[in-house]
Amino acid sequence: MKKAFVVKSDRCVGCHACEMACKNEYQLEATIRWRKVYQLPENEFGVPSRHFASLACNHCENPACLAACPAKAYTKREDGIVIHHTERCIGCKMCMMACPYKVPVFNEKIKKVEKCHMCADKQDRGEKPACVAGCPMEALEIVDLDDTNLANMRSFLPGFPDIAITKPTTRFITPNLGIQVRGNNNG
Amino acid sequence: MDKKYAITRRSFLRNSAITVASIGLSGSIYEFLFSGLAPVTAAKISDVKKFLNACPRNCYDTCSIVSTVADGILTKVEGSTLSSYTRGKLCAKGYSYTRSIYSPDRIKYPMKQKVRGSGNWERISWDEAYTEIAQKILQIKKEYGSTLPICLNKYSGNFDIMHYGIEGMLTSIGNTTRATGTPCWPAGIDAQTFDFGTTYCNDPEDIVNAKYLIIWGANPAWCSVHSMYFVKEAQKRGCKLIVIDPILTQTASQADLYIQIKPSTDGALALGMARYILDNELYDGEWLAKNSKGAEEFFSYLQKNITVEWAAQKTGIPRGVIESMAREYATTKPANIWIGYGMQRHTNGGQNVRAIDALAAITGNIGKSGGGAQYAQLQTWGFAYYAMMQKKPENSGGKSDRLININNFGAEVLNANEPPIKMMWIACRNPISQDPETAVVNKAFEAMDLVVTADMYMNSTVEMSDIVLPVTTTFETPGVNVSYWHYWLSLNEQAITPMYECKNDVTIAMELSAKLNELEQGSCTFPVSGDLEEWVGKEFNDAIYKQFGIQDWTELKKGPIKAKTGLIAWQDGKFKTPSGKYELWSDEAKKFGHFPLPVYTEELQPNDEFPLRCISAHWKLGINSQFQNLDWMAAINNEPCLEMHPIVANKFGIKDKEPVKMYNDIGYIVLPAKITETVSPDIVVVYEAWYKGKKINVNYTVKAIPADMGKKATGSPGMAFHDNFVAIKKV
Repeated sequence: MKKAFVVKSDRCVGCHACEMACKNEYQLEATIRWRKVYQLPENEFGVPSRHFASLACNHCENPACLAACPAKAYTKREDGIVIHHTERCIGCKMCMMACPYKVPVFNEKIKKVEKCHMCADKQDRGEKPACVAGCPMEALEIVDLDDTNLANMRSFLPGFPDIAITKPTTRFITPNLGIQVRGNNNG
Repeated sequence: MDKKYAITRRSFLRNSAITVASIGLSGSIYEFLFSGLAPVTAAKISDVKKFLNACPRNCYDTCSIVSTVADGILTKVEGSTLSSYTRGKLCAKGYSYTRSIYSPDRIKYPMKQKVRGSGNWERISWDEAYTEIAQKILQIKKEYGSTLPICLNKYSGNFDIMHYGIEGMLTSIGNTTRATGTPCWPAGIDAQTFDFGTTYCNDPEDIVNAKYLIIWGANPAWCSVHSMYFVKEAQKRGCKLIVIDPILTQTASQADLYIQIKPSTDGALALGMARYILDNELYDGEWLAKNSKGAEEFFSYLQKNITVEWAAQKTGIPRGVIESMAREYATTKPANIWIGYGMQRHTNGGQNVRAIDALAAITGNIGKSGGGAQYAQLQTWGFAYYAMMQKKPENSGGKSDRLININNFGAEVLNANEPPIKMMWIACRNPISQDPETAVVNKAFEAMDLVVTADMYMNSTVEMSDIVLPVTTTFETPGVNVSYWHYWLSLNEQAITPMYECKNDVTIAMELSAKLNELEQGSCTFPVSGDLEEWVGKEFNDAIYKQFGIQDWTELKKGPIKAKTGLIAWQDGKFKTPSGKYELWSDEAKKFGHFPLPVYTEELQPNDEFPLRCISAHWKLGINSQFQNLDWMAAINNEPCLEMHPIVANKFGIKDKEPVKMYNDIGYIVLPAKITETVSPDIVVVYEAWYKGKKINVNYTVKAIPADMGKKATGSPGMAFHDNFVAIKKV
């Protein structure tokens, strides 16, 4: 089993509900964002547009955080979820330097790192992660990569760091672009 | 191990006691509870309860909320799964509610400012606040022979029905001056009132049934994200989505066809389409014959005055595009148009909405599932308004309330005489941030003897007040909410006890009434006691019960309920106009000084001195001046920017992220440039919001130019917020 986030940029409207649903669920510190909404480069898809990708931990197949941690504070579950164990964390920030996606964040208050755990507890109870359940556009989904037709999905989006390093499991559906009529500035 | 843990735990408790004590000063116990030591605190939580709440903001979505309260602390909010509109989801703003309730920035007790604007506040007791306010009210009444020098400015900061008790409180002291109207949507409401008799839209969940959908000057992706889901669902079922907007918004980016229109020319596009529909006999003659008044006159107007070529020139949209869109719109059934509030914030906004309504009418798309000209609905607002309906005391002076225009508040306050305005009561409103001509509004505040503001935060209006009264949030008090868009009715339960010394506006009214009567028996008719939940119950009446199919309001404690009838607007063909028909020709419009037909009114143009139109659109992390001040929002974005097309940037020698001064003859702001091809070269865009501690307010440059319509249905014309012409330069 290989649990993964599917980020549907064809549905995402950049409203930030997902990352706020996450903060609401875990009442995160003000500046800590386990999930972030990124605007994709506006000319990436031929004509200008406002499209987005919502990203959290990519729960990589070869997690660099886990490899870099001297305190064994990271584990990868059988279902693929990469868990950071706060009680083991010594706050050395090695994982932060190792992760190509800058996912682990430092909590100044407790001097330890934290990150998205794909709401593993919720998933174990049969619930959806807070971001997935909270997205009004249903632009996020959890799939099992071993058991999903990936034909319409991509492993990377523009600006996403080299996936060869850690093999992130996140998959993307790219935006659909319509026709634009722009008077004095025809695209 | 156990022993070690015990020591750790003891020392934790000792430390935490210190933490609580020190945080107690700044007032956030919450900060302590969630400081990352969850395992220990979690063990202490014994009592977890769920409550039903409703988001009371001035928003299409008015979400049904389920809140989780652990040991009296709100720990989580979720969308209700019982509402098929909210669908178990909230927006970014809704999910931030714990941060607004437990924000250390909340006003915690009544305070008095020594000199307005000085920041020199001192804490006073509620009794001291009531005494000073009541004495002032009585002194004004004595000096001027009435309470007319007292002015209320209250609007949409909290749309909970009970909050109309604020109007009730002012009524209960006598005749007063009222800021009347609404800043957001009046031109469009009047337009629909002339055409249909009132503004009335289909259930937005019905959007899924549209086969052709034009979103015209609205951005639901940010401002009504729950509706955006239904828009996507319609697309999935084969509906073609067209978005018309000068900004290539997040909504427009989802469209099958995006049309960048020249701002304020929407009526020209609609009339051009109508002419094509007429020439090609694509109109629904049968529907018009049965349901409309003035079709002949309208068609004659089109033939004499409108050509598609003219529309193309006006709007900047090629003729062929207008023609193909007109053909598709007229021949794809059902076709729905969502008319946004943004597109009517112009001097010709009302006429433009009438022209779009006419498109829906001539194609017979009115009264149909999947069709319609959707603007808003007021159908579910038929409450008893018990808190609002108060009697005026006998012999309190004056003949009636004096109404002044909320959209030119500063100037109208300063110009009022016989008697002048001497005292303001501000509630659910932030005029210094949100009104046009900030400098004039400031002057009006400066001219007062007493300004009382009831609010949650030290915003720019509170900064210019003498007394601030801390108010409860929606989670600290009972209430009841409906939307002006969807058809759900949500009870709002008190989930937590009021924070600090905060009080509900109705409680404030009751206690002020007690003080007024103590000082002068009979000077205030507002009840002096009552349980707030009982007050909520009294807001209901038989009509609401019938509409929602309930016997008693307490049934709403099981969850939100949707209206049982009237979900497709005008399905019965009984329009509320004087003729009972859809009125393309409206004598009522004529009475209010408009041409009786939907005609084109020339749009305002920029000039050489101020060559750019500034559109101050709504923001994803806030609604008006609410939410963007919270720390969770600041973590995402803490600075407004000025969006401009590369053509504009090049012309003025501005590079991305460089500070730019945007100015006109009344004011200026300085903010960083954001260069983007997603805005039209005719405009610059600032998203209006209140950033904590920042003095960047787009309304410094906005003049109080009225929109063409609004007077009939809302008492004052709307505001042409988007006819703001500015110049820009590199700083």
